[in-house]
Amino acid sequence: MLNMKDISKVYRTESVETHALRDFSLHVEEGEFVSVTGPSGSGKTTFLNVAGLLEESSSGIYELDGRDVSSLNDNERSRLRNEKIGFIFQSFNLIPELDIFDNVDVPLRYRGFGNAERKKRIERVIDIVGLGSRIKHLPSQLSGGQQQRVAIARALAGEPRFLLADEPTGNLDSEMAESVMQLLESINAEGTTIVMVTHEPNLAQRARRNIYVRDGQLEEAVPDLQVAAAL
Amino acid sequence: MEIGPIWRTMLRNKSSYVLIALQIAVTMALMVNAIAIIQERTRLMGRPTGIDEDNIFTFNSTGFDPNMDFQALVAEDLDAIRNHPGIDNAVMTNSLPIRNGGWGQQFQTEPGTDVESVGTGIYFVDEHGVDTFGVDLIAGRNFTSTEINWFDPESDDMWPSVVIVSAALAESLFPDISYDEAVGKTAYVNSVEPITIVGIVKTLQASWPSWEHIENASLVPQKRGATSARYVVRTEAGYRDEVIPQIEKMLAESYKGRIIRNSKTMTEVRNDAYASDSAMIKLLFFVVSVLIAITSLGIVGLASFSVTRRTKQIGTRRALGATRPAILRYFLLENFLISSVGVATGAILAVGLNMWMVQTFNLTPLAWYMIPSAMLVLWLVGQLAVYGPARRASFVSPAIATRTV
Repeated sequence: MLNMKDISKVYRTESVETHALRDFSLHVEEGEFVSVTGPSGSGKTTFLNVAGLLEESSSGIYELDGRDVSSLNDNERSRLRNEKIGFIFQSFNLIPELDIFDNVDVPLRYRGFGNAERKKRIERVIDIVGLGSRIKHLPSQLSGGQQQRVAIARALAGEPRFLLADEPTGNLDSEMAESVMQLLESINAEGTTIVMVTHEPNLAQRARRNIYVRDGQLEEAVPDLQVAAAL
Repeated sequence: MEIGPIWRTMLRNKSSYVLIALQIAVTMALMVNAIAIIQERTRLMGRPTGIDEDNIFTFNSTGFDPNMDFQALVAEDLDAIRNHPGIDNAVMTNSLPIRNGGWGQQFQTEPGTDVESVGTGIYFVDEHGVDTFGVDLIAGRNFTSTEINWFDPESDDMWPSVVIVSAALAESLFPDISYDEAVGKTAYVNSVEPITIVGIVKTLQASWPSWEHIENASLVPQKRGATSARYVVRTEAGYRDEVIPQIEKMLAESYKGRIIRNSKTMTEVRNDAYASDSAMIKLLFFVVSVLIAITSLGIVGLASFSVTRRTKQIGTRRALGATRPAILRYFLLENFLISSVGVATGAILAVGLNMWMVQTFNLTPLAWYMIPSAMLVLWLVGQLAVYGPARRASFVSPAIATRTV
């Protein structure tokens, strides 16, 4: 599903060169649920950005669903993101002026689906996340947990093969976090590959595989997540 | 197309969009009516006087010598002018078209005091008048030299018995016949004095540019004056500016008991006549340009603010699959919708304002194409104004979406 080999990402300014990822190699099988942990500034978000085609790597090979994406141009990367990847952000990133229906509709419009197809997909995913009765509500009228559910619905609407979650429970209390995690687990159980960046060891432990990032490099199979998270 | 979501977004965030739409509406209403006024003024300024404007100039000869034989001097002057190289013809007259000062008279088709009459501008000329003015005699004949007399205030015959009129005046006097059939017809001046129309000229404007019946003008075969003469001179093509100082010098030297002054080409007469209209056109152009510039800046400001405020949202859209052209299209479409509301409101305001101006200032109603043309212009201005900020938005990185600060 996701295959990264010797990926490096370097940020350059006039005077400083920052190596956010160094020779980063990772293979994620289809259907896996992988958690990514690591201290602040370790490169977790850079990994997520590169994996999600939000940023290009400086070097290395990245294959997504069997396709080398290293040489794609911006438009091709956008289309591939839209078709293959669903994003869940820590701060939900819902568009405040749009109601739930229109928020979930955003990626579907970019895909070019017709009205009927979009409506069918939106209603289905909103039912999955249990917000069918709130379809005309604005994000500001929902709780944090509900907003994250809308974000999950938006990520699922395009039926992506691959979900990237960036601290999906970071802005939620424990009860809401648990409900979101259960939702992600059920989505994974239906076959969607999930890579989740998190700071919380107890959530990371619920993934099938845990990887640990430090100084832009991968340390897989962390034995003690509590310790790792504290580093 | 994202018209629905964009429209709903605008409705939930009305104030700034409404202000810009109102600005566009007011700009459109003022722009359309200003351009209508400009068109009207330009049309009035562009009307032909009927005379050979490019080659005509005029000046005054004002005598101060109490022993001056005015009539003899005029005859000598005209003879000298007409024989000067580069001169086509010359005549003494009282005025010129659009000179903002002349002789007006009422003509009527029946004698009597309670008979409806038609106003006309009068030019007193001799048999050289038609040729000197360069008017197009389209029916009848010119005056003969025997028909020309000096005005005698002691005589009972105030008016000559013949007249040449403009086609417009002929049609006003005799609306039931064609202008050429007016030749030979009798009109009456001063209620009872008969004059026979012997010729029709195609176009000859009167002396007052703002007069609504400016196309009504007549050539009357008579010489008038006691000490001061206005000469009108027609030169051969291209000689006008060269011969003006020569003629002035020649006449000044030929008789020292007068002064030659107020030389003006017909081009200068026209410029003087329409100076206020010309100034108004420039002012209106300036106002319209400023309005469009302010509206454009408003659109740029709103779009720039919107892009800055929504940077994260744009990044999120990019992360969710929006291509750069899709983001560009989003902002262009948003502006198109704002502009559409503005121009639709502006169209209503423009028509309303025009109706009021037609009633109040007797302006011509708007031409049918003015509203759609203005809408197109303002749509285009809006799209051009928003293009820069929209392009900037399209370059927002999708990685912005994962930033938490």
